[in-house]
Amino acid sequence: MPDLTASVSVPRIAAIEYPLGRTLGQPGDSAGQMAVLEATLQALETIQTPGEIIQLPFEWPEAPKDVHSHSKIDPPIGRYLARNPWFLPRLLTRDVPG
Amino acid sequence: MPKTIDSFRFISGITKRMIKSWIGMEKPRPTPWTPLTRPLSECTVALISSAGIALKTDQPFDQDGERQNPWWGDPTHRILPKTATEKDVRLYHLHIDPSHAEQDLNCLFPLQRLQELENSGRIGRMSPRHYSIMGYILKPEKLLQETVPLLIRNLKEDMVDVVVLVPA
Repeated sequence: MPDLTASVSVPRIAAIEYPLGRTLGQPGDSAGQMAVLEATLQALETIQTPGEIIQLPFEWPEAPKDVHSHSKIDPPIGRYLARNPWFLPRLLTRDVPG
Repeated sequence: MPKTIDSFRFISGITKRMIKSWIGMEKPRPTPWTPLTRPLSECTVALISSAGIALKTDQPFDQDGERQNPWWGDPTHRILPKTATEKDVRLYHLHIDPSHAEQDLNCLFPLQRLQELENSGRIGRMSPRHYSIMGYILKPEKLLQETVPLLIRNLKEDMVDVVVLVPA
């Protein structure tokens, strides 16, 4: 999520539109993983301005509806909010109870 | 036309709303900058992942702590040797699907690809040590005040020039 990364002012970003859990590519796709890593390192050489973002050109081969990147079981915070939905605004503002 | 990345293409529902809200909370701040002063072919490179990767022989990230208090996430780190593969590690992250990386660690922690870049001379060398944290941390104080200084100390000991932060 390069928008989130950029919001905390990191020096260089190689942005990619791949799902969580497979930032470099599919398991077993060595050539695809290498292309992403090489393009990322190339961005390090190219970027001369603090905060610059290079948009990597790679396309994920599956449509979002076919991609399952979140954990198969809801994380604890998801189950907690299902029981206590009034705490949702505190998650959205990272106002952690306690 | 160059591609414009949609950060939320594969993110849905409440997670998308949460991330957008957090982005809106960040205030502008100075961007740190260290220029690259030598060719990549002479640089030592390390990876840092937020996927909660730990050697099977090491202490797992504390998932029971998060199950007991869903607002908490383990803010510590684990060291991974440059030779680590999916056979040597487990992923401890309750928010992502670890099954892909458990088939092939390189899909989010490309140690073998980095080794190939060392072999071909594209980079100078791999760091002997690489790192993982677990990225679900709502309150980052311990991460920033305790874990990050340890990481920086180790990176300096290993004379690392370049760090690739790989979000999970």
